[in-house]
Amino acid sequence: MSALLEVEGLAKHYPVRRGLVMARQVGTVRAVDGVSFRLDRGETLALVGESGCGKSTTARLVLRLIEPSAGTVRFEGTDITALGGQALRKLRRRMQIVFQDPFASLNPRMTVGDILEEPLIVHEIGDRAARRARVEELLRLVGLAPFHAQRYPHEFSGGQRQRVGIARALAVEPALVVCDEPVSALDVSIQAQVVNLMKDLQARLGLSYLFIAHDLAVVKHMADRVAVMYLGRIVEEAPKDALFARPLHPYTRALLSAIPRPDPHRRGGHQIPKGDVPSPMNPPPGCHFNTRCPFATDICRTEDPPLRAPAIPGLPAGHIAACHHSESLPPVAVEEEAQPMAPAAARRLALYAERRGKMAATAG
Amino acid sequence: MTDLLNIEGLRTVFRTGSGEVTAVDGVSLSVARGKTLGIVGESGCGKSVLSLSLMRLVPSPGRIAGGRVMFDGKDLLSLPPAAMRDIRGRRIAMIFQEPMTSLNPVFTVGDQITEAMRAHDRGASAAALKSRAIAALDRVRIPAPERRFDEYPHQMSGGMRQRVMIAMALSCDPDLLIADEPTTALDVTVQAQILDLLRDLQQQSGMAIILITHDLGVVAEMADEVAVMYAGRVVERTSGKAIFDDPQHPYTLGLLGSIPKLEETQDRLLAIEGAVPPPFALPQGCRFNPRCVFADAECTRIDPQLRDLAAGHAVACLRAPVESIVGVGA
Repeated sequence: MSALLEVEGLAKHYPVRRGLVMARQVGTVRAVDGVSFRLDRGETLALVGESGCGKSTTARLVLRLIEPSAGTVRFEGTDITALGGQALRKLRRRMQIVFQDPFASLNPRMTVGDILEEPLIVHEIGDRAARRARVEELLRLVGLAPFHAQRYPHEFSGGQRQRVGIARALAVEPALVVCDEPVSALDVSIQAQVVNLMKDLQARLGLSYLFIAHDLAVVKHMADRVAVMYLGRIVEEAPKDALFARPLHPYTRALLSAIPRPDPHRRGGHQIPKGDVPSPMNPPPGCHFNTRCPFATDICRTEDPPLRAPAIPGLPAGHIAACHHSESLPPVAVEEEAQPMAPAAARRLALYAERRGKMAATAG
Repeated sequence: MTDLLNIEGLRTVFRTGSGEVTAVDGVSLSVARGKTLGIVGESGCGKSVLSLSLMRLVPSPGRIAGGRVMFDGKDLLSLPPAAMRDIRGRRIAMIFQEPMTSLNPVFTVGDQITEAMRAHDRGASAAALKSRAIAALDRVRIPAPERRFDEYPHQMSGGMRQRVMIAMALSCDPDLLIADEPTTALDVTVQAQILDLLRDLQQQSGMAIILITHDLGVVAEMADEVAVMYAGRVVERTSGKAIFDDPQHPYTLGLLGSIPKLEETQDRLLAIEGAVPPPFALPQGCRFNPRCVFADAECTRIDPQLRDLAAGHAVACLRAPVESIVGVGA
C-alpha cells in the first residue's frame, strides 16, 4: 500500500488581536500545533478528540480550505500547500468533504438533483444528459431513488440528507473523502445506517477516509487506525485494535471510560478527567493534559512529552503516544469489562440480525 | 400511591393545512418521587412534544386534546394559567438540549439565575438573591462561582453553560426536573460529568427526573424506569434493567442493535432501515410495521395496544416475545 496522504508538521495559528484602531496582537491560538500522519489508499484514519482539539481545523487544512501556518501536506506525492489556480482546482476533484450538519450543508433553495449536479458542472464533467444520468446513479449508490432528485432538502430526514451529502462528495469520484463528524448530528439508529453505508461505499469504490469524530464507539466501527488529538496535537496514534486493547495515553483512557455503555449493571464508575479543556491560547506548560491527568507527576508539569513508541515488549508497530508514563500506566481495569448480555436479550438480537440478513438478501 | 406524576391518555395535536395531526397519541406514564424515568426514541417520535405538553408549553398551532396529567394530586391540564405558572420553574423545572441557545447572550449568567429566583420570590433582596445564585452555581460544581456570576454565556464552555442551566433549573428546588436531551450537544467526557452531577443532585434533593434521550447508553446510566416511544406512542414500558436484559419490542431491539459496542467487533451495525413516519402519514396497523423485521400480514391490519407481558413490563407488539415466532413465515 502506498501513501495517499502524508501530513508533516502541520500547524494553524490564529493571532488574537485587541483594540479597534490600533489592533495589536495579544496572543496566539494554536488550533493545530504540529500534526503529522499518513493515510494509505483504501484506508480509514480517524481523528478523535473533544471540541476545540483542532480536529476539524486539521481536516480543513488537509483540503486547503484554509491555509496552514506551517507544515506540508503531500497528496499522491505532490506538496499541495504551494499549489494554486488550475492545479488546485484539479486537486479538488480528488479530495472531497462530508460535513457534520446535514441541515446547514445543503442549499435549501436547490433541488437534490441540482445539488448533486453542481460539482459536475464546476469541474466540467460530461454534458447535461451525462450529468443527469450520473445524478441518478449517485442517488442509487447511497440508497435513495432517482425520483428524489426533484425534491428539496427540507423534504428529507436527517439521515437521508446525510446520504445526499455523501453522494455530493462522491460525484466527482474522489480518492480521499474527509468526513467531518458525519454522523454526530444523527440519531443512533440512523447513525448505524450511515456508518454501514459509508463502509459499503469504501469497499466498493476503494475510498480513503479521513474520519473526524468525537465518539470512539463509532470510530471502532469505521477506522483502521486512530489518532487521538488534544489541544492541537496528536497525543496517541495506533492501529484500531491496539488502541482499544491497550490505550497508552491517559487522555485516550478517559475518552474510552466516559462513553455511556448500554449496560445498566455498571452504572457510573467512569474515570472522568476533571474540569474542561484548557484554552488553546494559553495551554498549560509541560504536557498539555497534566492539569486533568490523574497520573501527572512533576516531570509532566515542566517537560513536554514527545510523541514516541513506548518501550513495551510486544507493542504493535505504529503505536505511538505522547506521555512520560506510557510504560508505567496501570493496566486498564479489565474487571469492569461488560458482563455478557443477558440471554433473553442476546437471543432476540440474534433473531433480529438473522431476519435482517434474510430481508437484505431478498431485497438486494 | 407514591407517584409524583401520573400521565393518562395524553393526546397532543397540531393543526396543519391538511387537517389535524396527532404528535402525542394516548401516552400513559408515571414517575415516582426521587426516581428517574427515561423516555427514548428517535427524532420525530413525539418525546419533546410530550415534555412540552406536561409543562403546558405546546407551541401554537398545537394543543392538548385529551388526557390527564396528575401532578402531586392536581390535574395540571385543568389548572388556571396563574397556578400553572407557579408550578413551572418552582415545582417542575426543565433543561434543554442546547445550552448555547437557552441562555440569553446579552445578560450575565448571574442576572439570568437571579431573574428566575426573583420571579418566584418577589420580596428577596438583591444581595440575598446573589448569594443564593452563587450557592446554586457552587452546587453544580462550577469553579470560582463568584467570578462566574458576572460572566456572559459566551465566556463559558458548553459544559459550563449546561451546568448554569441546571443551576437555574434547580434554584427553586423543584420536585420534578424534565431534562430534554441534556447532554446530546456535549463531548463525551463532559457528558459523563453532567450525568454524574445529575445523579448526585437527585440523591441530595430527592427530586424526580424525566430524562428524554435518543441514546440508550445514557438511559443505562440514569433511568429507573424506561418508556420507548415510537410515532407518538409508548411501545414498550419497563424498568431500566429489563429494557436491556429483556427487551421485547422489535423497535427496542433495533435501537439496541444500532449502538456501536466497544467490547466487541461487529462487521455491520444492526441498523433499523427507514425513518420514523411523520404524524400525517402513519401506516395502517402497527406504526412500526414498515420498518419491522418480524412484521407479517396481521401487523399491517391490527394496531397493537400496550399489554403486560410480565409485571411492570408492557409492550405494544403482536409478535412479542419474538422467539415465539421462530420458523413461522420468512
